Amino acid sequence: MAEHDDGLIVLTINGREVRAPKGTMLVDAAKAAGIEIPIFCYEPRLGAPIGACRMCLVEVEGMRGLQTACSTPVAPDMVVNTESEVAKDAQDGVLELLLANHPLDCPVCDKGGECPLQDRTFRFGPGRTRSLEPKLHFPKPLDLSPLVALDRERCIACFRCVRFSQEVAEDGQLTFQERGDHTEIATFSGDPYEGRFTGNTIDLCPVGALTSNPYRFVSRPWDIKNTPSVCAGCSMGCNLEITEREGDVKRLTGRPEPNMAVEEGWICDRGRWGYPALRSADRLQAPVLADAVGRRNVPLERAVTEASGLLAARGARVGILLGDAVTVETGFLACELAARVGGGTPAMVARTGIPGHGLGPMRALPGAQMDDIDGADVVLVVGGDPCTQQPVAELRIRGARRAGAQVAVIGPRPTALDASCEALRTTPGHLLDAAAVINERLQGSERAVVLWDEADLAAEPAAAEAIARVVAATPGARAIEMCADVSGPGLRALGIPAAGDLLTALEAGAIDILLTIGADPTAGPAGDRWAAAADRAGTIIEMATHRTGLTDRATLVLPMLAPLEDEGVLVSMTGRAQRLRPGAREAAGAAAAWEMIVGITHRIGSPVPDRTPAQAFRRLAEQHAAFAGLDYRVIGSEGAAVAPVPQDPGVPARGPVGDGLLVVPCAPVFGDAVAHRSDALEAVREPSRVALAPAEAERLGVRTDARVRVTTPEGTVVLPLEIDSRLHEGAVYLVMGDPASGAARLLPGDRGPVHAAVSAAAREEVGA
Amino acid sequence: MPQMNSVYRHREFGASLTTLADYERAGGYLGLKDALALTPDDALYAFHRSGLRGRGGAGFPMGRKASFLPKDTGRPTYIVCNADESEPGTFKDREIIERNPFQLIEGLTIAAHAVGCERAYIYIRGEYEAQAKVLDAALAEARDAGRLGPDALGEGRPFDITLYRGAGAYICGEETALLESLEGKRGQPRLKPPFPAVAGLYGCPTLINNVETLAALPPIMHRGPDWYGSMGPEKSPGTKIFSVSGHVLRPGNYEVVLGETTLRELIFTMAGGVRPGRHVKAVWPGGSSVPVIGEGSLDVPLDYESLNGVGTFLGSGGCIVMDDSECIVRACHRLAQFYRHESCGKCTPCREGTGWLARILGRMVAGEGRGAEDIRMLESLFGRISGRTLCALADGAVMPVKSALELFPEEFAHVAEHGSPAPAPMMGEPVG
Amino acid sequence: MTAHEIEEYLSPMRHEFADPRSLILPALKFAQGDSGWLPAEDMAAVAEATGFSQAYVESVATFYDRLYVEPVGRRVINVCVTLSCMLRGSDEIFDHLADYLGLDGEGTTEDGMFTLAKVQCIGACDRAPCLQIDSGEQIGPLEPADATCLVDDLREQPAPARYER
Ligand SMILES: Cc1cc2nc3c(=O)[nH]c(=O)nc-3n(C[C@H](O)[C@H](O)[C@H](O)COP(=O)(O)O)c2cc1C
Ligand code: SF4
Ligand code: FES
Repeated sequence: MAEHDDGLIVLTINGREVRAPKGTMLVDAAKAAGIEIPIFCYEPRLGAPIGACRMCLVEVEGMRGLQTACSTPVAPDMVVNTESEVAKDAQDGVLELLLANHPLDCPVCDKGGECPLQDRTFRFGPGRTRSLEPKLHFPKPLDLSPLVALDRERCIACFRCVRFSQEVAEDGQLTFQERGDHTEIATFSGDPYEGRFTGNTIDLCPVGALTSNPYRFVSRPWDIKNTPSVCAGCSMGCNLEITEREGDVKRLTGRPEPNMAVEEGWICDRGRWGYPALRSADRLQAPVLADAVGRRNVPLERAVTEASGLLAARGARVGILLGDAVTVETGFLACELAARVGGGTPAMVARTGIPGHGLGPMRALPGAQMDDIDGADVVLVVGGDPCTQQPVAELRIRGARRAGAQVAVIGPRPTALDASCEALRTTPGHLLDAAAVINERLQGSERAVVLWDEADLAAEPAAAEAIARVVAATPGARAIEMCADVSGPGLRALGIPAAGDLLTALEAGAIDILLTIGADPTAGPAGDRWAAAADRAGTIIEMATHRTGLTDRATLVLPMLAPLEDEGVLVSMTGRAQRLRPGAREAAGAAAAWEMIVGITHRIGSPVPDRTPAQAFRRLAEQHAAFAGLDYRVIGSEGAAVAPVPQDPGVPARGPVGDGLLVVPCAPVFGDAVAHRSDALEAVREPSRVALAPAEAERLGVRTDARVRVTTPEGTVVLPLEIDSRLHEGAVYLVMGDPASGAARLLPGDRGPVHAAVSAAAREEVGA
Repeated sequence: MPQMNSVYRHREFGASLTTLADYERAGGYLGLKDALALTPDDALYAFHRSGLRGRGGAGFPMGRKASFLPKDTGRPTYIVCNADESEPGTFKDREIIERNPFQLIEGLTIAAHAVGCERAYIYIRGEYEAQAKVLDAALAEARDAGRLGPDALGEGRPFDITLYRGAGAYICGEETALLESLEGKRGQPRLKPPFPAVAGLYGCPTLINNVETLAALPPIMHRGPDWYGSMGPEKSPGTKIFSVSGHVLRPGNYEVVLGETTLRELIFTMAGGVRPGRHVKAVWPGGSSVPVIGEGSLDVPLDYESLNGVGTFLGSGGCIVMDDSECIVRACHRLAQFYRHESCGKCTPCREGTGWLARILGRMVAGEGRGAEDIRMLESLFGRISGRTLCALADGAVMPVKSALELFPEEFAHVAEHGSPAPAPMMGEPVG
Repeated sequence: MTAHEIEEYLSPMRHEFADPRSLILPALKFAQGDSGWLPAEDMAAVAEATGFSQAYVESVATFYDRLYVEPVGRRVINVCVTLSCMLRGSDEIFDHLADYLGLDGEGTTEDGMFTLAKVQCIGACDRAPCLQIDSGEQIGPLEPADATCLVDDLREQPAPARYER
């Protein structure tokens, strides 16, 4: 009777009728009805409730004693009272006891003002403790790592951080030591807490026990403004929250209301602590104009006017190159600009990134969202390494394994998932061989999710075709393209091709003006070729956030806002359109790319009607089927799926170029430009290096402490060597860290297979 | 000295039975033989019928608990013997293990037959290393004799026992903490439900019983459940070993038929009473975690219901006797320190509350009491700690102190004011 | 103690547990037998031998009273001070021993020979006041003089080949 046709269970909380699906815990049922039951330890993202803190005690009629609302599922006709005298006394009591040993140092605590312990004490507690006993003291606050600080005296032993480390990140590092009122958070022998996800423990901590070192004493909650936005660090598109003070980004955190379809509230440390890159020394501060008068700073207005003048020059052949993290609005407006310039000669718009030869069949597979991984029976990772390239995906995959999914990681690279999942190492360049295994793993599966790497499969079209066939034949199987470009799917959906043709055109002298928008082609694949090709264009106009290899040669440099400062839509690797919201006041002297483009078109004399990215988005949605029906309201805070655009550049596959060992490119986000610009990440950023299997190193006569020369048809660089027994022989693993190292420039512009010659570096090169 | 009506053969025979040969001569393994002649269900029913209640502290009917185990789950069923015996004042399991290990082994084997178990674990506290060695030897001997191993329950029906040593933590006596510890984790109690019967060790159906409970099974099977059930009151049948300690002349273990002996008889007739000239002041009859009772309650018969009737519990049967030479607040402070030290730290009320209690009582006995304010604080804390935690440790920390405050309000008030009790009525001989 | 030695010790009992995590406690106890306590290297060896993280192993170790992550003396004298023993004079025994060992309460003698500790009930209240050397037989009832004799006897004895604590 109390179970209705809609499958909802009906119960009474505080005299009010409440409905909730079977299995809902009382605390959630109450919350949905607007009744707050205080909690500390309860956090469903960490697994089943543990009922430790006892904060959520409520009265349930007919049940002996008080019940923890966090672990008591709703039942038909249950009568719950969260505000009865007994329940109130229990809540008061727990808070008073929590404060008994708490230092009450709120005025000097970073958490003050946004502290659940403070809030709950205010709302549910006596507001003070009657304890006059001396408090327990722990050794001084310490650095758990360069990023996370621990103050043990503030810890309320809620288990959240420990469970995150042990059961979500599975890094095993953060634990409790001792017991009873001596219980404390610790790492082994005081070692630093190292990992890719450590910052989430700060978000989880309901008191000021774990705080962010880079944020220490930076601001108080009443000075700050928080804005929800999206991380542009990789194609995962994790939702995050930007803390701004006086115009600057002071902190990034996971969303308090997580996006369960994307990141579940977790963000990686690269995403969290990349923001200091916004103020790094090489950030472009003011527009630069180089003309007959010389190189000098000019006001932005003037720079935009100059840009329009250059672009509108009759007969000028224009090429526009977009970076991989620009918004779809910027991409759309760039296309419109292209149509308006060049005096009749068609202008080209292209994006840096993978052309996607032969990916058509893979991209035609039914797509999945991240939360589909939760309920999957089989999860396959094919190529790539989500742990380093789309880090937060790793947490989702681990969760699926814990929930019982068969997880296999297939590809040439060792990954952090190998220890706990099935790891199938393939010979580099032979993903095709894995098709049979993939087929086997998918047998009988009903809800498989296949995460595949864009770059690896683009380099092996035959493998892409075979694997696509296998996955397509599996009922219920869905795919996620782990793409290399942050907003690749969005720009692709606008029909913007990869930059191969633009590069060729530049080299052929067929481009007079190169406009780059958030791109540094000289630091990426075929970087040397790009540098030389750009020189052939008479004029370079650059919109960029930081100095690039083109800055000094550009006629015009237009400082551009970074994603954390900008507004617009990025499309994540699952094809999810999500909104960036400006979390900081615009950097002085810089403007949003979309705004500058609008300014330029205006001055050319054929203005676009848009005054905001929202307006531009509405127009692009009208013109591009992938975005049909979407606008900012529909996208909302959860994001919305973009319709898949099956397309295949159809460029014929080519064989490998170069001599020597096949290159396995590795592009960890902890090695990207932002990681190298952010001083906060100094201790955890990844350097560029070359990794070889021991036997291969021996054959080449190189040792670990050596630096090696690596030569591809694109050039030569000298890099440190790492010998790793988990690697395949016959291949060279090229880890692209510090952009200044030039490692990424060794890859060909079309990202196809390449071989590299590796040899011990000469003495004088080592010094370099 | 042989003891009539004893359920435990070493007592019945007045001798240690630490070899299999001795044990078998004393009638060992007849119970298993009888049990194996029954179907598992009938054996289980015999447990029921005997009326045997758990001797670890909670007194839950053993047969009923065993019947909660789901059958045919496709997963193993485990039995875990709780030999953690850490309740202050309790040392009866130690005696059974030291002097009669085979009866425990036989009991476990009988239970295994009834619930369909192939492996049992005995979780023994780390401080019982000497006792663990006796068990080790007994297990090896039983294995050699085929009493454990591939055919222990009859041809092709394997059963074996693993002895698992704790490492010093009272909380590991609590059954779910024990399971955590046995699973290689910090010994912290689990949220219930699910109860161990459904999801216990490694998430499998698990029967957990105390040493004394399991060791009672062989005679129950051999002499029949009705024989066992005929001893003592209907709801508390059988015998129970009481460990008597503290201010008595003959501390030790005494097995009594429940309901037939009074607390006074246990203390005075069996354990020799308090020193001449002294009076019993306070008794914790069931281990340190039960409410304390005074001299006025000594004529209570020893069985679960009667002890409940005087406001306390039979508990583990660890009967701690204190005479009038000792200060009740000092005794309570000592207990509070115990619980503070042993709190696992998972639940807020217990982790913070036991420490707070210990600090207040510590101040009081150190002469830094705050008079009535401390008493009020104590009273308020009791309510804020008990009934609000995952396991009963916190209740166990409160009950002995709360009841003491109720029983000796003047003495608490005096100590809170002056730091020491009013002078004891009369000085006696030191205990020797 | 090496991970290999621990693995060898564990190998006959592995099949008795459905989850290798259960091996951590036996491994820790075994490792502690080597030097009487658990230096970080030994916990790391246990971690390696059982396949769990070092931090996890240390977290388990610190939960239990009888696993020592700080150095202790060659013999640990555990004096029970819980209620039954207190009622029969355990405090006097403890104070007497501390005096005799030249210690100011709990601690380790300068020569590293003895650690004197107060422990909670060791299940021998019938022998109160009682103590335990490492985890040997519970000894009692004791007079203060008995306790000092015991220390003298221990001084004569060589340290055990393997510690049992
Ligand atoms: C804090 C605490 C400590 C306990 N210690 C013991 C113990 O040392 N031995 C024991 O048998 N039961 C102990 N118990 C009771 C067990 O949880 C459980 O009820 C018992 O082992 C069941 O066996 P039984 O039914 O045979 O008594 C303890 C319970 C609590 C709450
Ligand atoms: S009541 Fe105490 S001992 Fe029991 S689980 Fe809670 S904290 Fe641990
Ligand atoms: S939130 Fe329910 S016990 Fe912690």
